[in-house]
Amino acid sequence: MALFVAKRLLMALATVLVVAVLAFLLVHAMPGSPGAVSLGAGASQDAIDQLNQQLGWNDPLFSQFFRWLGDAVQGNLGVSLIDGRSVSADLADRLPVTASLAAGATVLSAIIGIALGVTAAVRGGLLDQIIGGFVGLLVALPAFWVGIILVYLLAVQSSVFPATGYVPFEVSPQDWALSLALPVITLAVGGAAFIARQTRASMLEALQQEHIRTLRATATPTWKILYIHALRYASLPIVAGIALQFIGLFGGSVIAEQLFAMPGLGQAVQTSVSTHDAPAVQGVVVIATVVVVAVNLVLELATKFLDPKLRAS
Amino acid sequence: MIPSVAPAPADADQTASTTSAAAPRRRAGKAALTKVSRYRLFASPGAVAGLLWLAALVVASLTAPLWLPFKTEDQDFTAVLSGPTAAHWLGTDELGRDILSRIFAAAAGTLGTSLITVIVGVGLGTLLAMAAAGAERTEAVISRITEVMMSLPGTVIILAVIGAVGTNIPLIMAILGILMSAGIYRVVLGQAKSLQSQLYVDAAKVDGLSPVGISVRHVLPGLANTIVVQAALIFAVGMLIQAGLAFIGFGPPLPQPSWGGMIQGASQHVYDAPWMMVPTGAVLALTVLSANAIGNALGKAPNAAAPHLPSAAARRHRAQAVAAIAAAPAPKDADAQEAPGNGTLSVRNLSVGVDNGVGLVTGVSFDVAPGTVLGLVGESGCGKTMTALSLLGLLPSGVSVSGGQILWNGRNLAAATGKDMEGIRGRDIALISQEPMRALDPMFTVGYQLTAAIRRLRGMGKAEARSEARNLLEKVGIVDAQRILKTYPHQISGGMAQRVAIALALSGQPRLLVADEPTTALDVTVQAEILSLLRALVKDTGMSVVMVTHDLGVVADICDQVAVMYAGQVVENGKTAAILDNPRHPYTLALLAADPHANDADNMPERLATIQGQVPQPKDWPTGCRFAARCQFAGSACKDPVPLLASGTGEGLVRCVKADQLAVEGMDWLATDVPVARLLPISSQHTTAAHQHTTVIEKDLA
Repeated sequence: MALFVAKRLLMALATVLVVAVLAFLLVHAMPGSPGAVSLGAGASQDAIDQLNQQLGWNDPLFSQFFRWLGDAVQGNLGVSLIDGRSVSADLADRLPVTASLAAGATVLSAIIGIALGVTAAVRGGLLDQIIGGFVGLLVALPAFWVGIILVYLLAVQSSVFPATGYVPFEVSPQDWALSLALPVITLAVGGAAFIARQTRASMLEALQQEHIRTLRATATPTWKILYIHALRYASLPIVAGIALQFIGLFGGSVIAEQLFAMPGLGQAVQTSVSTHDAPAVQGVVVIATVVVVAVNLVLELATKFLDPKLRAS
Repeated sequence: MIPSVAPAPADADQTASTTSAAAPRRRAGKAALTKVSRYRLFASPGAVAGLLWLAALVVASLTAPLWLPFKTEDQDFTAVLSGPTAAHWLGTDELGRDILSRIFAAAAGTLGTSLITVIVGVGLGTLLAMAAAGAERTEAVISRITEVMMSLPGTVIILAVIGAVGTNIPLIMAILGILMSAGIYRVVLGQAKSLQSQLYVDAAKVDGLSPVGISVRHVLPGLANTIVVQAALIFAVGMLIQAGLAFIGFGPPLPQPSWGGMIQGASQHVYDAPWMMVPTGAVLALTVLSANAIGNALGKAPNAAAPHLPSAAARRHRAQAVAAIAAAPAPKDADAQEAPGNGTLSVRNLSVGVDNGVGLVTGVSFDVAPGTVLGLVGESGCGKTMTALSLLGLLPSGVSVSGGQILWNGRNLAAATGKDMEGIRGRDIALISQEPMRALDPMFTVGYQLTAAIRRLRGMGKAEARSEARNLLEKVGIVDAQRILKTYPHQISGGMAQRVAIALALSGQPRLLVADEPTTALDVTVQAEILSLLRALVKDTGMSVVMVTHDLGVVADICDQVAVMYAGQVVENGKTAAILDNPRHPYTLALLAADPHANDADNMPERLATIQGQVPQPKDWPTGCRFAARCQFAGSACKDPVPLLASGTGEGLVRCVKADQLAVEGMDWLATDVPVARLLPISSQHTTAAHQHTTVIEKDLA
């Protein structure tokens, strides 16, 4: 087990490193030098060249990367070319927003998805078909479109929720929750549908296992067969599905952030990509990767713990 | 949101299905597959509608300049932000541009660039899977890389790429395809590997076909359906992602219209012109829905195994069937009334059928007295297991008792409700099944499963149940019971697992044990041990056993009574000794003649008998004798229905009009010549799967 964890940790570290290199190269391929980006359109070529020299833009790529990596390990991701703010500080402010969004949407979609999937598998018949059709529709609806409809219905028509904006938890927990509600629901719609399908398929597969018959032959009550034995058997792929969902949502929250004016990581990527703010893009790619890889690692270990065969080996 | 770069969720249904369809005929493989797929496609109304919609969209979009009433950039300032009107069927946007025209002008580009993701993603994923399936080391490397790819925040990376290359949509969609290929690889790999391990692939390797040749000729055709399914699903995801990117401002350069960009424009006017949201959103959703419908229709598994716990809807259906049986006037014949005894089972005229009306078991009757063992014998497909499972009310979904009675202590279990059966199962009637490993829950320890059953069935406390569990394990001959209690099923051997399964069956102190081929999956020495354990248990506890088997050796070993079943009927029954020594039905004769163990060493025939042909499918059963088509003695009299008649050997019965004649003339089932076709290499149509002892052909005397 310890060996397994160590191996996985090493893998995770390697993943982050590969992404860091990739991000570095992408950023260097961006049009315009940092000096040009930073000084804007009106700047003279001399001023741009001087700033580029100062930023080390003309150094060999190799040494630039290791300079960046050395700083990054110490928590310094450089300075934004646009507003001169520390990228690390900016991302530290933004991380909680995206984390709340992604975690909230993952939890909500897991609850709704598992409930729908289990119901469809267990009840069968007409209800299964109705849920199947509903889930199929949810999968096909673009999240941003759902979000706008939600805004229209719940914020414009009846002002239950604020239409846009984010209130930090420290300011007011209640407003924080209200400000998260619509974006979380928006993101959870597709996620719930995905998890519902995964759950239904896994539950049906679990119920086809022969040990279910043994359980019935020893008079195990139906609820116990379904919710202890079958759901337990089905839990492995379901947890894996939830992990994928979180990975998708963590970066994918960009649309909800844009739509609801949430100051999260996604918004940071979107603006920094539009403005060619190289250090900011590089920083956010690496931070997002670190978070996603870490969560993935934890969930993978959880999955291993759920399966006796893997736990023992 | 950009959906996770993950295998599409509908796959779970289909990964298992296509291999079976692909494997058997390699020549016809490709054609057969496409046929199957097409059939599935057109069987689904959703998929047909989806195909029509996509086709209409493509045609309308490509011919747009010819028929569209407005150019995409025509601005009509007299009708800004209008709803549907006669001039603008779907309304106009904030610049008075016609929404209908813009939707169709954008369609071809959206569909075309999504196709790039499909081609790159599915192509790369499939290539990787085929390469990995062929070589283990390659697989390890590729799997590692794809694992890493799947654990990346895909959206963020795509956005960073956009930062570097700009909004070059075709290039971005291609890179998206690369990111998504990891998920597709994972879906395709399992199937590619199972195709690689087919025997005909081994044969091709021996023939010297190169790995690439094998992949292209033998693996790729088998993957066709999966590939098409994945392509449809990825197509849908690609469209959603592309629209999402356009929505956040990374669409095709303005003023070129895009669906995501149009929805973004509409979102600015959700306060004053909410209608604008509707047309573009609906067209996008419909298009995605169409692609998904096609993928799902193709990916649907045709014959998924039935669940062992039927769904609530199926249970309701069955409850109705049971109520109908209970309501039917039961024939009050004399022997049904006579015995409300202790642990007596009388099955009367039992019929079991598929819910669509095909009968699997018809008119089966037998009795089991307390403390005796009844063997149900016959080839596969004769209805033995269905008969046995009906005793416990554990028939698979879609199969139910359609008539007759199962009298347990005088009570008709065929008409018992699900709740009543729950009181019978485990406490009165218990089950052991063929594959002990699969019969135990892999997620729980042996100890948990045993104590849970004991507490439930015997109402014991936790500690008491725990010690009883140990006693039971010792009773079934497990020496280190304490250790076994702590193990998971995958940690013990098959023989050990069968002992645990028997202990589990005994946990409610049942008076009847239904054993469905309990020794078939075990090796020979373990078989003998399990049989002697069962014999000892019958002796000690006085319980009775219904033993389903195709092995006449098992029958001779343990059974007091035998019912020989053929094609859903009992064809002969009676005392074991009488039937083995003096069989009356030709089928029994044939089974004995074909069994190498049933013949003494000194009079072992030079050639063992065979029974030509196979057990007919239930839908093909004739009205007359069901064995007639394979019987050496069949005549014209066999065309009429045959009743069970007294066989003249004690209380036995036999279902053969010629039984007496055969007995008088002392005729034997002859070992016929091996058909010529059988001797030729595998080309023959007759070579069916290994068919138990009955197809054993020759016995070496040396």
